Amino acid sequence: MQNDEKTSHASLYGGDRGWSERFGHAFTWLCGGALALNVLLVLGILSLLAWKGFGYFWQEDLVEFTLKDGSKVLGEVWEEEIVAATPEHPAVDRLRLKIGNRDVNGLDFVWIDRADVVSRREPKDVVLLERLEWGNFHGYLREIRRGDQVLAQGSEAVWQQLGPLLATKEAEREEIHALEKGAIGAINYEIEKLRLAARRLEISGLPAAERERRQAEIDKTLQEREAEFQQLADRLFQMREALTAETLVAATASGETKEIPVGGIVSAIRPDDLGVLGKLALQGKRIRQFVVDDPRESNTEGGIFPAIFGTVMMVFLMAFAVAPLGVVAAVYLREYAKQGLLVRLVRIAVNNLAGVPSIVFGVFGLGFFVYLIGGSLDKLLYPEALPTPTFGTGGILWAALTLALLTVPVVIVATEEGLAAVPRIVREGSLALGATKFETIRKVVLPAAAPGILTGMILAMARAAGEVAPLMIVGMVKLAPTLPLDGRPPFLHLERKFMHLGFHIFDVGFQSPNIEATTPLVFATALLLITVVTLMNLLAIGLRNHLRRKYAGSAV
Amino acid sequence: MSAEATARPHTTPWRRLAADRIARWVVSAGGLAIIVSILGILVFILVEVAPLLTAARVTVDRKIPLAGAAPGALLSDEHRTHVAALGAEGRVRVIRLSDGQTVATRDLLAEPAELVDLQVPPESSALAASTRDGRVVIAPVTFQITFDAQNRVVSPEISEPVVLEVDPLGRPLQSFAAQIDEEGSATTAAALADGTITVVRRSVTHNEMTGETGEETVRTSAPVSYRVTHLALDADQKNLYGGTAGGEILWWHLEEGQIGPVQAASAGTAPITALALLIGGRSLVVGQGNGTLSVWMPVSKAEDADAASGDERLTRIRDFPPQSGAIRLISPSPRRKGFLALSDRELGLYHSTSHRTLWTGPSPLPGARALGTSPKDDGAFLAGHGTLASLALRNPHPETTWRTLFGKVWYEGYDHADHVWQSTGGSDDFEPKLSLTPLLFGTLKGTLYSLILAIPLGVFGAMYVSQFMHPGYKRYVKPLVEIMASLPSVVLGFLAGLWLAPRIEHAVPSLLLALFVLPVLVLLTGAAWNRLPRTFRGRFPAGTEAFLFVVVLALGIWLCFSLRQPFEHLAFAGDFRSWLLHAVGLSYDQRNALVVGLAMGFAVIPIIFAIAEDAFTNVPQNLVAGSLALGADRWQTVTRVVLPTASPGIFSAVMVGFGRAVGETMIVLMATGNTPIMDWNPFNGFRTLSANIAVEIPEAPHGDTLYRTLFLAALLLFVLTFLVNTVAELVRQRLRERYSQL
Repeated sequence: MQNDEKTSHASLYGGDRGWSERFGHAFTWLCGGALALNVLLVLGILSLLAWKGFGYFWQEDLVEFTLKDGSKVLGEVWEEEIVAATPEHPAVDRLRLKIGNRDVNGLDFVWIDRADVVSRREPKDVVLLERLEWGNFHGYLREIRRGDQVLAQGSEAVWQQLGPLLATKEAEREEIHALEKGAIGAINYEIEKLRLAARRLEISGLPAAERERRQAEIDKTLQEREAEFQQLADRLFQMREALTAETLVAATASGETKEIPVGGIVSAIRPDDLGVLGKLALQGKRIRQFVVDDPRESNTEGGIFPAIFGTVMMVFLMAFAVAPLGVVAAVYLREYAKQGLLVRLVRIAVNNLAGVPSIVFGVFGLGFFVYLIGGSLDKLLYPEALPTPTFGTGGILWAALTLALLTVPVVIVATEEGLAAVPRIVREGSLALGATKFETIRKVVLPAAAPGILTGMILAMARAAGEVAPLMIVGMVKLAPTLPLDGRPPFLHLERKFMHLGFHIFDVGFQSPNIEATTPLVFATALLLITVVTLMNLLAIGLRNHLRRKYAGSAV
Repeated sequence: MSAEATARPHTTPWRRLAADRIARWVVSAGGLAIIVSILGILVFILVEVAPLLTAARVTVDRKIPLAGAAPGALLSDEHRTHVAALGAEGRVRVIRLSDGQTVATRDLLAEPAELVDLQVPPESSALAASTRDGRVVIAPVTFQITFDAQNRVVSPEISEPVVLEVDPLGRPLQSFAAQIDEEGSATTAAALADGTITVVRRSVTHNEMTGETGEETVRTSAPVSYRVTHLALDADQKNLYGGTAGGEILWWHLEEGQIGPVQAASAGTAPITALALLIGGRSLVVGQGNGTLSVWMPVSKAEDADAASGDERLTRIRDFPPQSGAIRLISPSPRRKGFLALSDRELGLYHSTSHRTLWTGPSPLPGARALGTSPKDDGAFLAGHGTLASLALRNPHPETTWRTLFGKVWYEGYDHADHVWQSTGGSDDFEPKLSLTPLLFGTLKGTLYSLILAIPLGVFGAMYVSQFMHPGYKRYVKPLVEIMASLPSVVLGFLAGLWLAPRIEHAVPSLLLALFVLPVLVLLTGAAWNRLPRTFRGRFPAGTEAFLFVVVLALGIWLCFSLRQPFEHLAFAGDFRSWLLHAVGLSYDQRNALVVGLAMGFAVIPIIFAIAEDAFTNVPQNLVAGSLALGADRWQTVTRVVLPTASPGIFSAVMVGFGRAVGETMIVLMATGNTPIMDWNPFNGFRTLSANIAVEIPEAPHGDTLYRTLFLAALLLFVLTFLVNTVAELVRQRLRERYSQL
C-alpha cells in the first residue's frame, strides 16, 4: 500500500475533477469523520472518567454566601447553570452547592440564585470535618468539651488541640476495630461452630447417652465462651464510652451550634487555608484511603478495599481454574487431535462460546454450580447448617468457576495461536534429537508458546475483572461482612460471598437512596476499574505484538 | 513422530516412552473432557428447560373402601395424609389415607337430617351442604400440623358448623352456593322452589375493645325467571354466578347482602351441569350436559363509548375439548388457574390461562359423586360407590405452552389478549404472566438502535484506517480501539444511566442538530484541507486530516450544544419534549432506547471495527494494485474492488456485533427503565431478555416456572448468539480461503 501512495495521491488530489471523484473525496472525508468520531468518543469517555474520578478526591474551597434574606450558606460550588429565558420564565443564573451537614439540612445539595447573593467570602478558619456518620460537616469551631469541662475555646485554640486529639481518637478507634474483628470475632466464630456442632450431634445417629454426654461438653464450652464474650463486650463498651468522651462544639454558617463526638470525626481540614500543594497532598491522602479503607454508610462513603480485594481474589481464583483447563484443551486441539472436520467444528464452537452472552454463563452457574453441586455438597458435608445453605448459595468459588467457563475460550484461542506460531523446525529439531512428543511439547513448544498463553490469561483476567452480569447471580453482595481470606482456619473461605468493583458501581450508582451524593464516588470506582482493566489489556496487547514480531522474524 | 520411536526403539528408554504414552492419553482425555463439558452448558440448560413443556401425569395412588353414605364433598390436608368426607347422612369422617382408618367424625346437625346437595366452597377449607328441609350447613375443617421429634403429626379439627335457615317453608333448595370467611361470616345463596334467589348473610362482628362478638343475619330475595340448577359464590361473597337448565349463565352482584340486577349470557342450549370458580374468583368454568367445557370472565367493555367505566360483561374466553358425557363435577385447583373436570366416564385435567388440556383419561372411579383437589395441587380425590380413590397429579408447569411464552394470552382482568411479562404481583392469587415476546422485542429494539450507530461508525472507520490512512498511524489507532473494546460494560452502563441520560434529556435537539452539522463540518474541513498548497499537505502522510477532524468534531459538538436553545425555539417551539408529545404523540422516558443505542453502540463499534478492518486489510494487494494500474483512482478501487471483495467480512462483522448487542446485560439494565413494553419509540424504555434474567433470577425459586422460563430465555440467547456467531465465523473462513486463492 505504501507503494501505491504516490499514485493514489495523484489521483485523489489532483487530476481532473469529475463528479465521481468529488463524490469520492466527500465520502472519504466522511469515513475519516467516522474514525475521528470513534477516536473522539474513546478519548472523551476516558477523560470524562479521569476528570470526574480524580475530581472526587479534590477538595474545593468552601465558600460562604450571604443571601438577600440575610441567611448564610456554606458549601462547595459544585456546578453553575444558566437557564435561558423562556416566555414563561425569566433567565436564571444559579449555582449548585454541596452544603454537607446532612444532619442539620437533611440534604446534600442546594441551588442558589446568583441574583440573591449579596456577598461571598472564603473564610480561612472554616473547617470541613469528615465524620463517620452523617457525611461531612462544614462550619466553624467553637470549643472542645469533656463532660462539663471545657478543654479549649475559640476557633484557633480548638484547631490547635483538635489535631492531636484526632490522632489519639484514631488510635482508639483502631483498637476497638482490632478488638471487634480479632478477639470478639474469633469468639463469635467459635460460638457459631459450637452451635453447628450441637446441631450435627442432634441429627447424628449416636446413642442417646453418648449424645447427651457430648452435648454437655458442648454446652460447657459454650458457656465458657459466652462468659468470655461478655467480658470482652464489657471492655468494648468501656472503650466506646472513652471514644465518645470528648465533644466538639461547632457552628454552622447560619450560627446553629452542633455537638459532634470527637471520636466520630475521621479528619478535620481547613480547605480555604490549604494552598494548591496542600490540596494535592490531601488528594493523594484521600486516594490512598479510598484504596485501603473499608466502606462506611452502606458503601456511600469511605474506601472500597473489600471490593478491590474481592475482585482481585476472584480473578486469581478464576485464573487458577482457567489456566490448566484452557492450556490442556488447546494442547489437545493443536498437538494431539487429528486435524479434520470435527476438530475444525469444535474450534469454531469454542471460538463462538466467547460470543455467548455472559449472563447465560451466570444462569448456568446458578443452576449447575450453586444449586446442583452446591446443594449436593451441603447435603453431604454441612447437613447441620441446613436449611441455611453453605455452598448452596452464591459464593466466591462459584463466581470464579463461572467466570473460568466464560473466559476459557479466550485462553484456548490465545494458546492455540501461541502453539501454532512455534515454528515447525523447532519441533522437528527436538524430535530429531530423540525427545518424545510429550517431552518436545513440555520442554520446547510450551515454553516458546508461553507469551501467547500469558496473553490469553491476561485477556481472560481483564475480562473477568470487568464482568458483572453473571456475578450478580452467582455470588456478589452489596456489603460482605467478612473477606473470603482471613486468619481463621481454613483461611480460605470459598463459600463466602464477596464484594466486587463492578457490582459496587452498579449497586452504589443505582440502588443507593442518595444517588446524587454518591455519583462522584462511583466515578472514582469506575476510574479505578477501567485503569486496572485497561492496563491489563495494554499489557496483553504489548505481549502479543512482541510475540508476533518475534515469530514473524524466525518463522519460515 | 511414531516413525522416530519405531526407528530407534533401543535408544529411547521405556520409561520415557511410557511417560509419552500416558501424557498423550491424559491430555487427550482431559482435552476432550474439557471441550465436552464446555459444550455441556447447552445440554444442562436444555435439561433445566425441558420440564416446562412436559405433559402432566395422573396416577391412582390407592383406593380405600368407605363406610357410611356416599360422600359428596372432600377436603384434604396439605400433605395428602388425611381426607375429610361429608356424607349425605350429615356426618363428616376424617380418613387417614395410609391405612384407611377413620380418625375423627362429627355429625353436622344435632337431629338426623338428609343432605341433598354437597360441595366445597371455592377457595375455602370448609364443607357445605343443603338439607332436605331448606337449610344450609357450613363446617370449616382445618388440619393442624405439628412436629414431634422427627415426625409430622396432622390433627384434623372440624369446627362448629354454621347453620342458616334459607327457605322458611322448609322446602328442599333447588341449588345453593355457600361461602365462609375466617371470622365466621357466612353467606349462602340459593334458588328456592318458589322461583326466587335468596341470599342469607350472617355477619360476625368482633369488638376489639369489649371482646364481645355480635351476630347479624340479613336475608334478601329477588325473583328470577330462569330455572337455576347450579350456583357459585366467590370468596369475597360479592359475586354470585348461576347456571340454568336452558344453558344460560347468570351473574349477580351482591352488595351488603343485597342482590343486584341479573346479567345473563347464553352458553348454548345444553343444560349447565357443573359450575366452578377458579382461584381469584374471576374465571368461571362452565360444564354442560353435552360435555362442553368453557371458561368465562367478566370483561370490561370500556371501548364502548356508551358504557360506563367499570361496566363488565361475562364473556366466553375459551373452550376446552368436550368430554363424552355430561360434566358432573369441576374441582378448581387451590393454587393455580387449573381445574379437574369429571364426567361419568372421563376425567380431565386442564389449565385455563395456558388453554392446556394437561391430561384426560377414563375416570378411575366411574360414576363418582365427589371430586376434590389437594391444597398443593399435587393430588386429587374421588369418591363414589363406597370407595375413595386418591390420585397423584404430577403437573409441575401447567401454565406454560409455546403460546403463553410467545403468543397473545387473554389474562384475567384484561380486556383483550396480549403479550405480557409480569412475573410478580401484590396479591397471593396473582398469576404470573410470562410472555417472552416483549423481552425479545426489547432485545431487538436495543440491538437495532445500537447497530444504527455502530455499523456506520465501525465499518466506515475501519475502511478509512485500512484504505486511506498511512499504515504508520494504525499503530496508534488500533490499541485505542482495543481499549474501547475492553471498557467494562458496567462502566458504560453507569455513564449512560447516570451521566448521559440526564444530559440527553435536555439535549435531544442538539443531537439532531449534530446529525446535520457534524458531516457538513467534516466535508467543509476536508475541502479546506484540499485547498491548502500541495507542498504543505505533502509533508503529512495520508490520513493526517482525520486528526484535524477530531478537533473539528469536538468543536462541532460543542457548537451543537451551545446552539440548542435557539434551535429548539426554531424547530420545536421552544420545548422538544412537549413538542414530541403533542406533535408526534410520543412520550419521553429519561432512560430510553436512544441512550442505550449510544452506550451499547459504543460497546459494539470496536467489535465491528476490528473484524471489518481485518477484512479490508486482507484484500489481496494484487487486486488493489491491478485496479490502480488500470487507471482507477483510490476511491473507485475502494468502492468497486475492495468493498465487494471484503463484503462477506463486513457481513460477518455486523453479525458478531449483533450477537454482542443481543447479549449485553449491564448497559441495558442500567440505562433503560426495564419496562417490558412493546413500542418502537426511541424515547421509551424497554426490557431485554438478558436484563430480565439479571433482574428476575435472584428472586426466582429453584425449579419454579419462572426459574425455568428464565433458563429458556438464557437458552434463546445462547442459541441466537451461537448461530449468529457460527454463521459469521463460517463466512469469514470462506472469505479467508477465497483471499488465499486470489
